[in-house]
Amino acid sequence: MDLTPNDEQIAFQTATTDWCREHMALEAARDRPDGLWDQLEAMGLPRLTAPEANGGLALDHATEALVFAELGRFLAPIGLLSSAVANRWFAEPFDGKVALALTVEEPGPLRVLDPVDSAAVLLLQPGSVRVFDIPDRFLNQMTRQQHVTAHRPTIDLSTMQSEQGWATTAVWTEDDVRPPLHLQLLAAAYAVGCADAARDMAADYARLREQFDRPIGWFQALKHMCSDMAVRAAAARSQLYYAACALDENAADAAFHVAAAKRLADQGALDNGRANIQVHGGIGMTDEAAAHLPLKRAHLLQFIAPAAREALLA
Amino acid sequence: MDIGFSPEETHFREECRDWLHAHVPAEKRPLDAADAIGFDKAWQRRLFDAGWAGINWPTDYGGRGLSIVQQVIWLEEYAAAHAPWIGANFVGVNHGGPTLILNASEEQKAYHLPRILKGEAIWCQGFSEPGAGSDLAGIKTRGRIEGDELVINGSKIWTSFAHVADWQELVLRTEEGSLRHKGLSWAICDMHAPGITVRPIRKMSGQTEFAEVFYDDVRIPLTNVVGGLGNGWKVAMSTLSFERGTGFIADQVKQSHEIEELIAAARANGMIKDDRIAGHLAQLRAEVAAVRAMTYRNISEVVRTGQPGPEASVIRLFTSELGQRLERMAVLLMGEAIIDFAYGDDDAVGDYLRGFAATIAGGTAQIQRDIIGERLLGLPKSR
Repeated sequence: MDLTPNDEQIAFQTATTDWCREHMALEAARDRPDGLWDQLEAMGLPRLTAPEANGGLALDHATEALVFAELGRFLAPIGLLSSAVANRWFAEPFDGKVALALTVEEPGPLRVLDPVDSAAVLLLQPGSVRVFDIPDRFLNQMTRQQHVTAHRPTIDLSTMQSEQGWATTAVWTEDDVRPPLHLQLLAAAYAVGCADAARDMAADYARLREQFDRPIGWFQALKHMCSDMAVRAAAARSQLYYAACALDENAADAAFHVAAAKRLADQGALDNGRANIQVHGGIGMTDEAAAHLPLKRAHLLQFIAPAAREALLA
Repeated sequence: MDIGFSPEETHFREECRDWLHAHVPAEKRPLDAADAIGFDKAWQRRLFDAGWAGINWPTDYGGRGLSIVQQVIWLEEYAAAHAPWIGANFVGVNHGGPTLILNASEEQKAYHLPRILKGEAIWCQGFSEPGAGSDLAGIKTRGRIEGDELVINGSKIWTSFAHVADWQELVLRTEEGSLRHKGLSWAICDMHAPGITVRPIRKMSGQTEFAEVFYDDVRIPLTNVVGGLGNGWKVAMSTLSFERGTGFIADQVKQSHEIEELIAAARANGMIKDDRIAGHLAQLRAEVAAVRAMTYRNISEVVRTGQPGPEASVIRLFTSELGQRLERMAVLLMGEAIIDFAYGDDDAVGDYLRGFAATIAGGTAQIQRDIIGERLLGLPKSR
């Protein structure tokens, strides 16, 4: 039993953070550079746990969760989550980004996140994940209207979305609980990173901003808000590590532990996102400052593989 | 990272389970300290004789010399077997002993540690004073040096098990006129020495478990100072690091059983059909899982670096508040039966009322939040 990262994992984690800081700053989340996806691909990030035969690194979920928490801290593309899952569980490797559809029942339409330059889209279903093509146009089965696949913004300023029909041609996983849990785990890792980002932004500001001739972090009212952010982030991160190990071991209670990780991570991201804005005061409410970015990302993440009450009570 | 245990550890777990299954007393531990003392001592002696006391203490002083992971395995099995609360042995076993192991002289260790493990010596903690609670450095109890003795005057309060204790972790001011953290010493005080008066205090749950202690020219040998005269603050901080860092692992482990019992109770009385209650229970179960994950992470940190990480205070805060949420849920599931609570009842209401101590004793939740803000997040010190 060891729930601390080893030296190799820490090195990977640190390298990821350093790279993100330079090339994928949180503050620049709404304006990602062209070619960012190619760089993420070149580093192997969508294929950390994919089999070597598919050009993957065949690492364990524990390492992957650590790295994805760092990526989540910088609001990395949502497509990394679905691409990592697609590359891990399908024999035929996918060429390029796989977007992520929110779970919806047939006949749809699907809400597709991060569709820009994506070749396919992954949909989580009970007990399975399914990958569709992204068509140029589609027929909405509900309204019988023809649509051209168009990109629209989301509340998360770093993520675009589109709509599409429930495609008939698809590949899917069968008789394996792990692919859906994998997506839930990675989404939890993103949310842990998001909670971390909000905590650090708030603590940085509380050390710098002065009122009444002292840094506002001196006051217990502010200090304790920041401490609660640290507690939420720590609880979620610990459970993330445990869940990743449970999935690696294919433990009987892996589904519960991954769901618990997602629940705590989502709450941490949302609550920390809100607290961060409060700590920032007036500037926190502005479009110009970055305080709103983690909060908005948190609101998006809570709809990706949410933790069902049944899974938590099972 | 992994959550598996080695074959040796798994074997150890089976040994723990088998022994506990055969030996956990059927009778309940009495609630009042005065009634429980005999029970606590006898149970501790039984644990010692069977080799379960001081699992990760050095063998020289009666311990088993095993790893902290094995200690945690023991506590997991201990909770699963519904073995009794450590009670009056809490201070000696969980932080007095560990403080001595780290800071005391050979003579002090050789005398006291085996007595703690055998349940022969009950310890209490003399830190808080009427005028020095959260502001611990405001301690006024003083020890005047006279030849080879310390002459003690002053008072301590909220001292758990003081009226049944033999020894005390006493932090006092040994340098006259010294201020704040300077000039303090950590001494072993004989609770049977002349000049000590103990006034037990009843808690709102009905138990008389803590007390106020008065010192009137109490004389103890100077050799009872631990870690050197004037180093009391440093030694006291190591005591608190044990108390807050690893002292509550047993409680953390117990929560994983408490939540399952609550879910079973809510299923049995049908209250789980209430969406709000089901949602609340689901949330609590996720939080309890996180406590285990945090505990494992903290223990892994101890194994790797030799001490709990700075996040130990995060676990302490999270666990104590979660414990109170669990106790509140248990009371909620009882419904109006809470109205019938009377002193002496050993039920969920008693646990709920006693549970208020969790965010006050051993450093209030407010102080824990200060520590987290200042040490983990680097915010400026408020004091």
